Amino acid sequence: MSEDGLAQRAREIAAEAVGAVARAAAPEELERLRVTYLGSRSELMAMPRAFRTLAGAEERRVLGQAFNAARTAIEAALDQRARELERSRLADLAETEAIDVTFPGIEPRIGRLHVLTRVQREIETVMERLGYHVEVGPEVETDWYNFEALNLPPGHAVRDMQDTFFFTSSEDLLLRTHTSPMQIRAMERLQPPIYVIVPGRTYRRDASDASHSPQFMQVEALAVDEGLTVGDLKGTVMAFAEGVWGAERRIRFRPNFFPYTEPSFEFDVSCGVCAGRGCRTCAGTGWLETGGCGMVHPNVLRNGGVDPERYTGFAWGLGIERIAMLRYGIDDLRLFYENDLRFLEQF
Amino acid sequence: MRVSYEWLTDLAGVRDVTPTQVAEVLTMAGFPVDEVRPIDLSGLQVGRVLSQRPHPASRHPLWVHEVDLGDHVRSIVAGAANAVPGSLVAVALPGTTVPDGTVVRDARIAGIPAQGMMCSERELLVSDDHGGIMLLDGGKPGQALEEVLPFDAWLDVEVTPNRPDCLSHLGLARELAAGLGRRLERPFMPAFVDGIEPPGTELIAVEIEAPDLCARYIGAPITGVRVGPSPRWLRRRLFAAGVRPINNVVDVTNYVALEYGQPLHAFDLTRIRGRRIVVRRARPGEELLCLDGQLRRLDSEMLVIADAEAPIAIAGLIGGEESAVSEATTDVLLEAANFDGVSVRATSRALRLRTEASTRFEKGLSPELAQAGARRAAALLAQLAHGRVHLNWADRYPRPQDPVRVRFRPEQVDALLGVHVSLQEMESALRRLDFQVQIQDDGSWDLLPPVYRLDIHIPADVAEEVGRLYGYDKVPATLPGNRRFSWVAPLPSQERRLDGLRHVLAGAGFTEAVTLALVSGALLDRLGVAERAMRVLNPVSDEQDTMRTTLLPSLLQVAALNANRGRPAVSVFEVGRVYLRRADRPQPDEPVRLGALRTGLGSAEAGRTAFLELKGALERALDALVPLQVAYQRDAATLFHPGRCARVVVAGRPVGYLGELHPAVLRDFDLDGRAVGVELDLEPVLALDVPRRACPLPRFPAVHRDLAVVVAEEVEAATLEETIRGAGGELLESALAFDEYRGSQVPEGKKSIAFTMTFRSPERTLTDAEVDARLERLRRVLADRHGATFRA
Repeated sequence: MSEDGLAQRAREIAAEAVGAVARAAAPEELERLRVTYLGSRSELMAMPRAFRTLAGAEERRVLGQAFNAARTAIEAALDQRARELERSRLADLAETEAIDVTFPGIEPRIGRLHVLTRVQREIETVMERLGYHVEVGPEVETDWYNFEALNLPPGHAVRDMQDTFFFTSSEDLLLRTHTSPMQIRAMERLQPPIYVIVPGRTYRRDASDASHSPQFMQVEALAVDEGLTVGDLKGTVMAFAEGVWGAERRIRFRPNFFPYTEPSFEFDVSCGVCAGRGCRTCAGTGWLETGGCGMVHPNVLRNGGVDPERYTGFAWGLGIERIAMLRYGIDDLRLFYENDLRFLEQF
Repeated sequence: MRVSYEWLTDLAGVRDVTPTQVAEVLTMAGFPVDEVRPIDLSGLQVGRVLSQRPHPASRHPLWVHEVDLGDHVRSIVAGAANAVPGSLVAVALPGTTVPDGTVVRDARIAGIPAQGMMCSERELLVSDDHGGIMLLDGGKPGQALEEVLPFDAWLDVEVTPNRPDCLSHLGLARELAAGLGRRLERPFMPAFVDGIEPPGTELIAVEIEAPDLCARYIGAPITGVRVGPSPRWLRRRLFAAGVRPINNVVDVTNYVALEYGQPLHAFDLTRIRGRRIVVRRARPGEELLCLDGQLRRLDSEMLVIADAEAPIAIAGLIGGEESAVSEATTDVLLEAANFDGVSVRATSRALRLRTEASTRFEKGLSPELAQAGARRAAALLAQLAHGRVHLNWADRYPRPQDPVRVRFRPEQVDALLGVHVSLQEMESALRRLDFQVQIQDDGSWDLLPPVYRLDIHIPADVAEEVGRLYGYDKVPATLPGNRRFSWVAPLPSQERRLDGLRHVLAGAGFTEAVTLALVSGALLDRLGVAERAMRVLNPVSDEQDTMRTTLLPSLLQVAALNANRGRPAVSVFEVGRVYLRRADRPQPDEPVRLGALRTGLGSAEAGRTAFLELKGALERALDALVPLQVAYQRDAATLFHPGRCARVVVAGRPVGYLGELHPAVLRDFDLDGRAVGVELDLEPVLALDVPRRACPLPRFPAVHRDLAVVVAEEVEAATLEETIRGAGGELLESALAFDEYRGSQVPEGKKSIAFTMTFRSPERTLTDAEVDARLERLRRVLADRHGATFRA
């Protein structure tokens, strides 16, 4: 065949191929056409062998151009058609691959942390931001740390406020009735200024019912520094309460009595259910009894080895279960320790 | 303490405050009021009985009354006959609810209309008397009853144990007045009652043999009393305070106790043998028949009031039956004494008896209060029971009260409160509370608390009094700051570090439980884990009488509870303390442990898989604390399956056990199926100081090879792994057993353990030939050392 004939033939093949490609309906057909027109045994790809025998450089150049144009055109057509086919396939996804998106999710098999752990950690976080650090201590305590060092002399009626478990092994041992023994231990261990928070288990000899448990969790904060005042105590309790309940809640201090603080208070938080207007949760008062607090009694400072002439201190404490109960609307203390998974899995 | 609003406001001299306002003032003064119960008399009227005739048709005795209500007359049927014509009565018309809750209905009784009710004292909550219709002293028909019977409300007031002076209407009235900015007019000490001859000391001799337990004893003889009912105003006040009226003599002692807070007792003077009162400790074997009809055995720790022969009362607790005032009594010995609080409390606990008297004495009262109570009671007995008070009471006072003087500077109060209280305000507050203030030349104050206040010793006590009346709501809230600060390193707390482990376990499907530290000692005994257990001396129940020594039984109880409630398979864990007695000191060890449990596994194979899963979860959880290698050694610990238990070893130290629970243990908890669990000490792990270091990522590809090693049954995976690691050389990056097989492909008594191994060089890409050579060496060593053959 002459060079003109070959060039002409290349253009014909290209035209035929482009037409076939444009008609192709599936990616597999495109692949087949690629083999047919551009495969190593195709007519087009055989052409370079043919025109290598042609003598003139000019002829080879002309033929080469025709060959390249044909190949490029076919390749471009193949690519374009492939994109078109892919686009039309994706356009159908809504019909071809639809699933029922309202079907329930498959829950990962993951456990949970206990609600008391969560609430305790939250309380700790608020206080840690105020510069306090966590101290923990023994639950099986001596009479000295639990009572006597805290101004609760033996035989005195004030001990009746905290009915106590004792042990068979030693008359001096008991289960701590509050976290306050750690006030003494913290003062012994650390030098003022002291800013600590003490979470932990405590025990009172109560029968178990919806609002009592012989074992419960308390958290207690202690500050010992120069010049601390009732105002500082109030501000700290308010900062704590706002951290735990939010800034819109109010705090009320009522005078009260604890042997280890003077003056002593109970603090109430305004009811979050009724915003202080009075409801069933707060028994109509608008206030929720939350915790006890006061300025550390000079005797207690002295028993902790701190000079009451130089330092003052304040302490406050509350029940962690009570915070959790108010927060989540839990009405029975026993639920925390029963560990019914249907309860635990709500938090 | 239950308090009568009418009585309280009468004593306080305030007429213009509602019960709710009283409650608010007392609450903010430190005496929280739990309940306010108004006695609602609205809707009740005064009626005059015009006629009374027996009911003609009723089989029970009933009387029909015509009652004048001012503008009309009604027919009222009653069962009591005391409302004779001319009587003034309280009438409740149909539809009214009377104070005790009775709703009056419009009815006909055997044909006669009953158009209302004439109230008894009980129906009006005046007393518990329901024996007849309450007759009024005054009023006119149709008048509102509220105008005749003063309005009252019952208040439940909490009194803290440091303020026994406020276990009284007078004490609370003083607080009420002070809180309202006023001062009580009435002096604390009543005037002396003029006495007659012969002197009291001739009628009774008092001897205190135990002055350590009795600081003061006043015996006041009052003769010629006429025992009878008390007047209505007194009965009503007693009843409002929760005390049943009995007769005028007993009522007066109770009334004064409720008014002043000083417990009193009245003996029949003629029953006191030898006309002698001896305050002494009881003798061994002595007994007393008490007023409540109980015979009580006394011991030598208990203080008694005895006559010449035997005890006639238990000091500060209860009187004896034989010496009690009766209807026939004419001569009374009034006792006003001061007993030691610790002793009264001990006796009260030993006898398991608490009385109005003991609750006051045990908190510690002022001996001066005895005199105030005696004077007040004597005056009332003269007034209400025609008693003749004799002069010169027998008053033994071996331990007079020490006067208290607190010296402080007003700035100290400001400094403690964090607010400036003006000197005038401070002084006014203290005077309203009956304190005497003496201001010294140097500006310091000398403060004399009233005698009945035994709780004031130091400047902080004064600051509390000032603060209460000043109002803590006026103290500005501040935060400590701008002070010297020694740095406490803000390291995360142990609990916060352990949260890493908690979160991993939760991610592995375990839910955190918090169980009680007090458990059943019998359970620990039965399970064989009671060694070093701390036993509680005074448990509330058998279920909670011992401190736990291990966490797993508590978790098994959690599993059992959930199984009973329809969840047979649970995965739970707890991070908590156990309590282990020590030989060398009284306080036990309280190590923090991890316990985890997974129950409800169906087969032996499921048990094995769960064991491996728990092991994997444990390693990840411990890795969250410290990067470490955990080793395991076959063991047979209590509670665990003897063939499926491993000792867990961390840094060469055994810390606990992992394994399947023993089937017998599961049966003890009524748990079906199998269970795996772990329990270990966490503190040794936390104490490890292993830094976490990053490794550079490998630059060359790894070559993987699997090898199935056939060995005798008793050869364990860890042993083979050790051999492989040793023989693998530096190019062996890891070797991990991943499959165990027994069956037709391996000989009887043998098993096949498949390992997957990774080889890698940090310097170049390994060739297959190189790795195959290593593998060949491995095979030889395994064959030599463990007699291993290999599966294709």
